Amino acid sequence: MNKRLLRKNVVLLFLLVSFFSGHAQNFAVTGKVTDDSGAPLEGATVLEKGTKNSTLTKDGGVFRLSVLSGKAKLIISFVGHESQEIAVDDRANLMLSLKKSNDNLSDIVVVGYGAVKRSDVTGAVAGINQKDIRSRPVDNALTAMQGKVAGVDVGSNERPGTLPTINIRGVRSLTASNTPLFVVDGIPLISGGIDNINPGDIEAIDVLKDASATAIYGSRGANGVVIVTTKQGKNGKVTLGFNTSLTLDNIVDDEKMMNASDYISFRRWGYYYAGLNPTTGISTYPRGDQPDIAHDKTYFAATTDPTAWANIAKGWAGGTWDGSKVSTTDWFKIVKQQSVTSDNIVSVAGGTDKIKAYASFGYLNNKGTIKGQSYERYTARANIDFNASSWLNFGSNINISYSTQEYGQSTVGIATIGTPAGGLYESARALFSYAKPYDSAGNRILFPGGDNAVKNVVDEWKYNISERVNLRAFGSFYGQINAGAIIPALKGLRYRLNFGPDFSNFRDGTYIDANSVANGGSTSYASKVDSSTFSYTLDNLLYYDRTIGDHSIGVTLLASRTYYKMEMDSITGNGVPLSSQLWNALTSGTVTGALSTKSNLTEQQLLSYMGRLNYAFKDKYLLTVSAREDGSSVLSAGHKFSWFPSAALAWRISKEGFMKAAWVNDLKLRVGAGVTGNSAVQPYSTQGATTSLFYPFLSTNTAGSIPNAILANKKVGWEKTTQYNIGVDFHLFNSRVSGSADVYTSTTKDLLLSRSIPIVTGYTSTLDNIGETANKGVDISLTTVNIRQKNIIWSTTVSAAWQKDHIVKLSNGTQPDINNGWFPGQPLSVIYGYKAIGLWHTSDKGAIQAFNANGNAFTPGSIRIQDVNGDNKIDPNNDRQIIGWTRPRWILGMTNTVIYKEWELSFFLYSRLHYMYAYGGEVEAGRYFNRKINYYTENNPNAQFQKPIFNAGGAAGDSYYASLGYLKASFIKVRNVSLAYNFNKSVTRNWATNLRAYFQVQNPGMLYSQIKFLDMDVIGPTWNRGFTFGINASF
Amino acid sequence: MSKYKSVFKLLLFTAVLSGGSSCKKNFLDENLKTARNTDFYKTDAGILQLAVGTYYQVFDVPPNGEWYYCAANYGTDEFHIGGDPSNSPWNNYDQTFNSVVTAVNTNTAGANLQWDALYTGIGDANLLIANATASTSTSAAVKSTSLGEGYFMRAYCYLRLVSQYGGVPLQLTPVTTVQLAFTRATPQDVYASIIADLTKAQTLLPTTGGPYHITKDAASHYLAKALLSRASEINSSWNSSTVAADLAQVGTLCDQVIANHPLAADFASIWKFSGVNSANEQLPEILLSAQFTNDVNTNLSNGNTQHLYFVSRYDIQDQMARDLTGDRPFSRLATTYYDYDVYDLVNDSRFWKSFRTKSAINGASPTAPNVKGDLGIMFVVDQPGDTRFALSKICKSTTASLVQDVNGTGRNIPTTYVAYPNGRITDGALNTDLTTAGQSFPSLSKYIDGSRNSLNDVVGHRDFILARSAETYLMAAEAKVRLAKAGTGAYTDALPYINAVRTRAQFANGENRAAYYDGGNTLQSASLQSPGVGNSFYPGNSYYESNNIPVTTATSSLTIAGISPLPAQDEYIIGVLGLSDPYDRMLCLVLDERSRELMGEYHRWEDLSRTNTLVARAKAFNVDAAANVASKHNLRPIPQTFLDGIQQNGKALTPAQKTAMQNPGY
Repeated sequence: MNKRLLRKNVVLLFLLVSFFSGHAQNFAVTGKVTDDSGAPLEGATVLEKGTKNSTLTKDGGVFRLSVLSGKAKLIISFVGHESQEIAVDDRANLMLSLKKSNDNLSDIVVVGYGAVKRSDVTGAVAGINQKDIRSRPVDNALTAMQGKVAGVDVGSNERPGTLPTINIRGVRSLTASNTPLFVVDGIPLISGGIDNINPGDIEAIDVLKDASATAIYGSRGANGVVIVTTKQGKNGKVTLGFNTSLTLDNIVDDEKMMNASDYISFRRWGYYYAGLNPTTGISTYPRGDQPDIAHDKTYFAATTDPTAWANIAKGWAGGTWDGSKVSTTDWFKIVKQQSVTSDNIVSVAGGTDKIKAYASFGYLNNKGTIKGQSYERYTARANIDFNASSWLNFGSNINISYSTQEYGQSTVGIATIGTPAGGLYESARALFSYAKPYDSAGNRILFPGGDNAVKNVVDEWKYNISERVNLRAFGSFYGQINAGAIIPALKGLRYRLNFGPDFSNFRDGTYIDANSVANGGSTSYASKVDSSTFSYTLDNLLYYDRTIGDHSIGVTLLASRTYYKMEMDSITGNGVPLSSQLWNALTSGTVTGALSTKSNLTEQQLLSYMGRLNYAFKDKYLLTVSAREDGSSVLSAGHKFSWFPSAALAWRISKEGFMKAAWVNDLKLRVGAGVTGNSAVQPYSTQGATTSLFYPFLSTNTAGSIPNAILANKKVGWEKTTQYNIGVDFHLFNSRVSGSADVYTSTTKDLLLSRSIPIVTGYTSTLDNIGETANKGVDISLTTVNIRQKNIIWSTTVSAAWQKDHIVKLSNGTQPDINNGWFPGQPLSVIYGYKAIGLWHTSDKGAIQAFNANGNAFTPGSIRIQDVNGDNKIDPNNDRQIIGWTRPRWILGMTNTVIYKEWELSFFLYSRLHYMYAYGGEVEAGRYFNRKINYYTENNPNAQFQKPIFNAGGAAGDSYYASLGYLKASFIKVRNVSLAYNFNKSVTRNWATNLRAYFQVQNPGMLYSQIKFLDMDVIGPTWNRGFTFGINASF
Repeated sequence: MSKYKSVFKLLLFTAVLSGGSSCKKNFLDENLKTARNTDFYKTDAGILQLAVGTYYQVFDVPPNGEWYYCAANYGTDEFHIGGDPSNSPWNNYDQTFNSVVTAVNTNTAGANLQWDALYTGIGDANLLIANATASTSTSAAVKSTSLGEGYFMRAYCYLRLVSQYGGVPLQLTPVTTVQLAFTRATPQDVYASIIADLTKAQTLLPTTGGPYHITKDAASHYLAKALLSRASEINSSWNSSTVAADLAQVGTLCDQVIANHPLAADFASIWKFSGVNSANEQLPEILLSAQFTNDVNTNLSNGNTQHLYFVSRYDIQDQMARDLTGDRPFSRLATTYYDYDVYDLVNDSRFWKSFRTKSAINGASPTAPNVKGDLGIMFVVDQPGDTRFALSKICKSTTASLVQDVNGTGRNIPTTYVAYPNGRITDGALNTDLTTAGQSFPSLSKYIDGSRNSLNDVVGHRDFILARSAETYLMAAEAKVRLAKAGTGAYTDALPYINAVRTRAQFANGENRAAYYDGGNTLQSASLQSPGVGNSFYPGNSYYESNNIPVTTATSSLTIAGISPLPAQDEYIIGVLGLSDPYDRMLCLVLDERSRELMGEYHRWEDLSRTNTLVARAKAFNVDAAANVASKHNLRPIPQTFLDGIQQNGKALTPAQKTAMQNPGY
């Protein structure tokens, strides 16, 4: 509907504009606009300079425009091409050709140890640019990629300062890491750190997806490579950039909790069913719909929390029960707050022939939607490149960031009672809606509702603090010698030295007061964890590039080494006397309890050699061949090194004579294959380490030692992934349709598995290279310009990824490994258990008896499980089955952008389809508070969930409750709607080169979700809806 | 230009340096600097440390979690579900109790936890035995003590395994590569291995060092236990060739151990925990105990947590609050009416020294005229026919007038529980007549730990007694009963052993029978208590209120003179169980006496299982288990994780093979 309306308006606007501009013109110009290959361009804008008089080129690129005089100047513009200004000079007929602009095919793509033009890329490489990053206010680079790059699945995390998860082309490894490698300005990050880069400093992010591209990073490329290129100074005048945005977020909760009255009857039914004798049909408690006050008093701990009871007693005021008189407390209101995020970055860039420089300073302040959570980050970046001489270049690139994350409620190190896990908001969710935070005298009630496992959340943000401070400095330094400039015979030979040091310091201070929800009643607890890491990468690179006739050759040789060291220490103590001391006075003598301390050291090394050959014939046939050898210290001696070859061939079909069709701007076919490795296991895990301990013989602490529960394996080597990729890149119909499509299949062998082994060996698990997984998929990126008229452009970008993985074999062929949840022939991650097929009803009496005769204990209202082998007995050997897979088959992103004059409107949809999620089911023990569910009672037999059975320990009465928690989980979400105004240069010409103001809505809501009470984007019931105002300016 | 040249040189130099050093082979060597690897265990120091580590794994790990009481105390005549049914499957034997124990909440002990802990201990012991055997050291500490400890601890774990599961896989060497093919050995083979190991341990271990170190006498005690177990009913289908010799050897071994380990004079002194490593933990009676202290270095986890599980919910009662001296009441294990039936409550001091029957008001604001320290909760353990109390729970909200503290302040007691209220002659008033069923019962006080750091701190510091000579007496008594049945000796041969522990259990002349003490009163500093909260520990018991007799300080007598009649309590239980055969009567006496002496000391389930009395006793006395317990429950289900993880001929087991390997009925 929108589309049709839009079209109508566009046509109307166009007519109006033409009408008004049709007056008082006296010189007619006709002409033809082509691209640089001579193909006519339809839909190019032809504007008379200094007026609003304009037209669009028609079929064949021709146009006709009446201008004021023969001295008028025309400005011709077209998407993907550089605008051109031309004087009419009294000519009636003009021939114009527009050069393709730099923003697409001639983009430079960073492919690892080098960069190539997009048109010359041979592997599956996709990415986003500055504009994509800027289109949404994000505090980290990963979120900026969400839904924009086909095959890259980026999750969401609503906690300020916490990175989302990222997977490229699904998962391959069962227990080793599936996280991609991040490379910043040529230096691989050894651990994390992408959150320390201000997205405003990023020029582009390129993602290497297929093995022919990632094999260049050998060992660490198996999960894909994300290459971040930061902004550099450019030759020319100094530009000053300023971006600022203000975001207001509020928490939205999809999960509706029971109100006081609903919960009261829920618990009553729970008691009724708990006391129900299945044989006699008589319960020791009254039915849920026949309450009496005496039972209510014991059900609701009348003496333990008189305030809560006073509220329930209101329902009994009239003598008979009236639940509507009981008030419902909104506990969420106590813990949520208005979130405000301010994000600012100032940058300056400029350069001359000899020196180019860029510097920026950024400040982000994010107050979370939940009390106690915030994130503050300072970033600074400086890079300088010296062209010392024709043969020598130097450069340095330094990034420093300092951030403070107030994590909010923490459960670190504390014996909790009840279940406060999941943060403050989830703690509030556990509180009974009939209970009150304060008693009549205004005192805080420690356990509202009288259950000593459900603590009051009031003031929790003062009682439970986890503050994480992170300082990180990393950079790269290079020197490059152009040998050809010294000795002409060596033309094309370059030597480059890259050095990338990386330093970080992390401190996590936790203070948990005795009153905290997370504190099970211990005295005040504090801990301080410090860790510092230092790592470096040292690359020696030799490049040789020559073009001889139609042949272009490029050779890259690399020797590289990487070293990583982490030192950590922690101190923990109980009995902190002053809450103001937090974790800063953990001194024996100050704290009343004993202190416990710890320190550790981890080192890791990597050694690599690589060679790569690029060959191009007539710029038409492109070949890349590479081989890399990696050695990793974490693997067993004798198994440390492995080879990772790759090859890719690209054919630019559009360069062939037979494809010189006008509608083909560019068409390229790519075929690639490669092997990548994964050694992502913890250091020392192959060594059979021991654990030291003390055993007290009376009061003599004696040093003891036991082997770790992991059986040492001296033969742990590389996990290897072989991947084949066929892809096509296309720009068609004057680039109105462009994109790429890739089909891939990959096989991962010698999986690095932490596999559980029978404990009879004395060990619980071992690390091993066993088994094989396979993965196949399709990535499609498609951008279409749906409307391209004078004042309006509507384009759509879709990224779609389909992937399917399965386990081929495990340690012993195709035998299932139930303890690990691995089943050959099935996806890597499956739900395995009992399948619920509804509830038992009174009409099923015969069937219930048949099962109960075999040891089951089913009753009407309990969960009915599929009896797979039909023996009228539910048992683990025969009746557990694979319910479904938990990774989405489809991941989709779609951005629609409509530009009308200075206005720009875009909206972004994100979707994951065709998978399942095990949310846990409903325990329905009646002890703890419950979300609003449709549960079984005698009055409601056709319910979704089983009957409640009260249990003082909070234990489920129906042992199959988890089975009703296996749900299909597809969703389509509107992630972002943005409206921007780009100020016309005529307005800002005197003081700014660019000025853009925008307004955005983040997460307006779901278009479709199979699970109504969860947002499967964040995998939780709560999410943030935000409104952003922002300005981007450059001067 | 010269400047550039020097820069060029510098760059080349760097390149050569870095390129050159990249080739160094040792760059990739992984040096584990912060821990030793298992090669350490080939040295003397390593063997000694491994022995200490194995102590920790075998003795300290079990009292650290919930599975221990689940496997040893739940589902018996002694204890049933208290106020918190987190581990109800283990007591109730319902459909949730199977090779996968349905996790009713995160506290539920999985079916595999006990299995895993014991096999981990066996793995450590195997490593210890192999390295100590291979060692060429001449040190006695290595070649004799450590090796003996290895044999002992391996046998200890296998004895627990065979007692719980029947035949189990027998792994007697360290495993160095992945092995997946395992089958269950027969119980004969497992017992043979246990007895061989303990026999070797006896010869290798020192005679002194107990109860902290494993001694020769500890090995003798456990050897007797293994032999007695092998000679028990559960093995009757195959043990006929070994029974006679086993029982004879039990007698010899027990006599040796008893001679070296006299009983403590007062039963209460065993439990008189007054602080970390206090004197009660070092009595000669104690043969072996798992060691705990308050040093955080020794608490890799939570120390001894068993103090949590036996305490009833005193803290939810009127004018009461949770406090350090009352312990943190997880309330998992409630006393059964069997516990009120089995003791001679007038003459046997052990009930009153094992259970907490009174608590002091400690809430922040007592209702006047009551003040903190007044009697706040009282459990009256009376007998059927008592007409003094109208209801099973007498408190302000009931219509009956409050019970007064007649032996103390005379003021009202806010909450009184009565085992047999007026008109109730059948068991179960405290279990079924109350809406707060199971939350209120006299708490077993043997583990209560007031030395903890805060009221909810789970880290316990008390040593955990594994074996004491009172049990050795009763094992000897049982052997005599069994021998008499087989025609060797008479049933009365058992009486001297039983009377030895009973004599110790008598009230002494001049003893204040209402005096009470437990480990809760070990408050280390008043500042550790929560502000406003007093001590709920009360230094008295309800002896006189329960028995309703005049105050006396005379000696009581418990001696059994002959085998017919047996004491009234035993005759009552024999009647309930419907026994008449002299052997069954005498075995009943032994099992009753074991309850009276060893109540809640983690032997009960195995005692009942091996004597095939579990089903009858659980049906008669465990209200929650009665409906479900069946003969299949004499053995635990083999954990599903084991059946799912092993292979036969390179293939995972089929459902039929798994069923075949499982114990019958699961």
